[in-house]
Amino acid sequence: MPGFSSGGLGGEVGGPASSSPRRFHPSRYVPVSATTTFLVASTTHFFCFTCPWLSEHVSSVVPIYNAVVFLFTLANFCMATFMDPGVFPRAEEDEDKEDDFRAPLYKTVDIKGIQVRMKWCSSCRFYRPPRCSHCSVCDNCVEDFDHHCPWVNNCIGRRNYRHFFLFLLSLTIHIMGVFGFGLLYVLHHQHQLDRVHSAVTMATMCVAGLFFIPVAGLTGFHMVLVVRGRTTNEQVTGKFRGGVNPFTNGCLKNISHVLCSAQAPRYVGRWRGMQTAEVQPPFLRPPLSEAQLEAKVLDNGIQNDCHSTRSKSSLEQMESQSADAEPPPPPKPELRYPGLPRADTEESSLLSDGPPTPSMYKYRPAYSSPQMNHTALTHPNKMIRGDSLDSPSILQLSCQPSYRSEPSTLDGGSIIGVGVRRGGGERGEGPGGTSGMGFGVSGGISGYSLGGRSYTSYPSSLVLSTGGSLSSSMRSAHTHHNTLGTLQSEGTTDTSYKSLANQTPRNGSLSYDSLLTPSESPEFESAAHELSPQKPHAPTAFPPATTFSLPAPGVGDAPLQGYTSPFLSAQMAQQREGQLLQGSASFSSPHRAYLRAISPPLLTPPPHAAHPETPHLLHQDTRHPHLRASSSRPLPPVSEQPSPSSPCARSPDTPVSPPPRGPSLGQSLSYTREAGLQHKAWPMGGGGLSGGGGIGGTQAPQSTFRPGLANHSTSKPGGGVKKVTGVGGTTYEISV
Amino acid sequence: MATEFHNLQELRHSASLANKVFLQRDYSEGTTCRFQTKFPSELESRIERTLFEDTVKTLNNYYAEAEKMGGQSYLEGCLACATAYLIFLCMETRYEKVLKKIGRYIQEQNEKIYAPRGLLITDPIERGMRVIEISIYEDRGSSGSCSGSSSTSGSSAR
Repeated sequence: MPGFSSGGLGGEVGGPASSSPRRFHPSRYVPVSATTTFLVASTTHFFCFTCPWLSEHVSSVVPIYNAVVFLFTLANFCMATFMDPGVFPRAEEDEDKEDDFRAPLYKTVDIKGIQVRMKWCSSCRFYRPPRCSHCSVCDNCVEDFDHHCPWVNNCIGRRNYRHFFLFLLSLTIHIMGVFGFGLLYVLHHQHQLDRVHSAVTMATMCVAGLFFIPVAGLTGFHMVLVVRGRTTNEQVTGKFRGGVNPFTNGCLKNISHVLCSAQAPRYVGRWRGMQTAEVQPPFLRPPLSEAQLEAKVLDNGIQNDCHSTRSKSSLEQMESQSADAEPPPPPKPELRYPGLPRADTEESSLLSDGPPTPSMYKYRPAYSSPQMNHTALTHPNKMIRGDSLDSPSILQLSCQPSYRSEPSTLDGGSIIGVGVRRGGGERGEGPGGTSGMGFGVSGGISGYSLGGRSYTSYPSSLVLSTGGSLSSSMRSAHTHHNTLGTLQSEGTTDTSYKSLANQTPRNGSLSYDSLLTPSESPEFESAAHELSPQKPHAPTAFPPATTFSLPAPGVGDAPLQGYTSPFLSAQMAQQREGQLLQGSASFSSPHRAYLRAISPPLLTPPPHAAHPETPHLLHQDTRHPHLRASSSRPLPPVSEQPSPSSPCARSPDTPVSPPPRGPSLGQSLSYTREAGLQHKAWPMGGGGLSGGGGIGGTQAPQSTFRPGLANHSTSKPGGGVKKVTGVGGTTYEISV
Repeated sequence: MATEFHNLQELRHSASLANKVFLQRDYSEGTTCRFQTKFPSELESRIERTLFEDTVKTLNNYYAEAEKMGGQSYLEGCLACATAYLIFLCMETRYEKVLKKIGRYIQEQNEKIYAPRGLLITDPIERGMRVIEISIYEDRGSSGSCSGSSSTSGSSAR
């Protein structure tokens, strides 16, 4: 049986640089051998038994036509099998000088306005170019990876996709021809069906008919892919399900690209030209410009700083250009920490590079709250790239010590419209990180199912919320970005970040100072958020609208985490508690009147949980339209304080109505709870962030909150020691 | 081919590899081959910005020419199909021709511009067209021994 059992040699034509020697896997060669056998054997039988009669009685063109088609099929089959699909050689050691611990798992790059994520390949030691994927069967990264085809025992990538596609087309035509002409033969020999020729023809027809359906199906599938400009990998992972494919150039251009483009070169197994240029000192040096000389003088000889500043400013300009209307980012950290070594590696020069994070920020352990996984947080560095290949986790996101941000959850999956970069490393991770992670955990679950949608061509907070870790990265990016100018620098280049900034109202107004002032509503909420450790409740049912409320509270994290250690943040929380208490105490009487005045109308919206709300929530109305409902919830029965909990307790434990209101409400709840010194309600309200938590939170504390508020109102003048739960679950006693 | 004297007054200067800069691909226009023209900070004091940008832009142009989908690439494809791809055994594809041109260009740039400044450009094809690697050499000062790969790369080139 003539055959290309040599097809069993496999499609591995890669050179030494491509992969390490691997074991012989005989099972891999079964499909390709079967394909070869069927193809060649059936065609041979067709030519031997059917074609003679056809050439005589139909036309002599028939065998020629079939021979041509068969040769074309075979040639494309061989090319698809034996041709290097576009294997990337392993990166050399020098390319990856940067410490594994500090490098992010993903880098984002902007392709025609759409952010695409490049994942670090731990086997090949580089960030996979767009559309590149690592084939586990071949153990290579393949350019424009389509799929690994077992029938040809080779990856289908940039170089051999055309051959594979033509193989499918020609095989379909060949099968149709064989079947058709065989049918013709059988119909003309119905009385001679016992002859060998007829039997063989019928057998060939059966084989042809059997293979026709899957082959034609696959051909149709790939025709659609070609027209759409997608790869199989992108199609099955649903990358472009909801968004725009940045790699498409239109139907005709896509087709011509597949069929008519130049044969791409191979990267491995090339003849290396010897470099004959000799590098020998003395070296020419360019003349220094005036500015450089000046900078040198001013810098006291610390040259790194001025260089980095200059390059970073140019980088910033590029980023700001690509980020369109981004507001200028705050001053970069390296200005404050001159002389720190910059990362000088391949990865650091990528577009998404941020300013060099001072080492104190890189190695600051993430602040961990009781709910979070301590091991994950205390060993953030190790998780980034060490075992990154198949274990992306949300924990990596907030664990990142580096200044680059990382949406990490979805492996090879979503291309997200977020190219967020966090300048401050984990410094701000603390509660922001924990909250992000908490949210991200659940969001990731939902996000994965919507992975395709997360490929944003449209900036959308929906994408962000379902993007799981994305949103957490966004959140921390927010916190960093909107904090007062802190260390976070970089202009992020992602559209969805901008969109988030555009959609959520407040960002700029959230400053640390404003947070200290209790009269500001945003900070009220954000403080509430920040003070209540976020439980990783799964906001799987989190409607997109909720994301509007999320960043706002998220921002509040920043000031606390900005420059402070966890201890300090707790202290500040304590101070804030005190201030709030004092603030509330100071205007308790006039504001209570105010509350009373407005509470009746607010009480009309009926069976909402009667949440005791402080005056701050009322202020929210002006700033946060989306929170209006929450603030319109029946104010406590502040008016009912004299008769403490009865009406309130009786007030329905009905679920908080619109879930979007939940989180904000829950946050405010928790905050007021603290303000109200009712730490009994603390655990309930802790998870105020999530919708479910919010709902539960709003319900649960009701019974406990009323008395709290009552206590608050009644005990205020008395002074004394109040117990408040700060961030991380520690309780503090503050004297009022 | 003069014999080298290691005179005490005239010790040989050698260069050693100090650093490598990697110019990344510019994916803003898709997956066509383009490299970023951003001037890396490490080269600030080593080479003039204009020279560097010229080199990278010329390389980008070469790659664009190689990947251009024009008449020649189409004809080549048809011919290959007609001959069942046997033509590839005899003929060099257009892309390969342009790659050879690029290799010669890089070699020339290295000899004329970069090596005198202590830099060496590595052909990106050796890195899978992902990065342009520029090696930065430092003058180790006077030393009798030749250290580093650069100084041993053929005094015959002189």
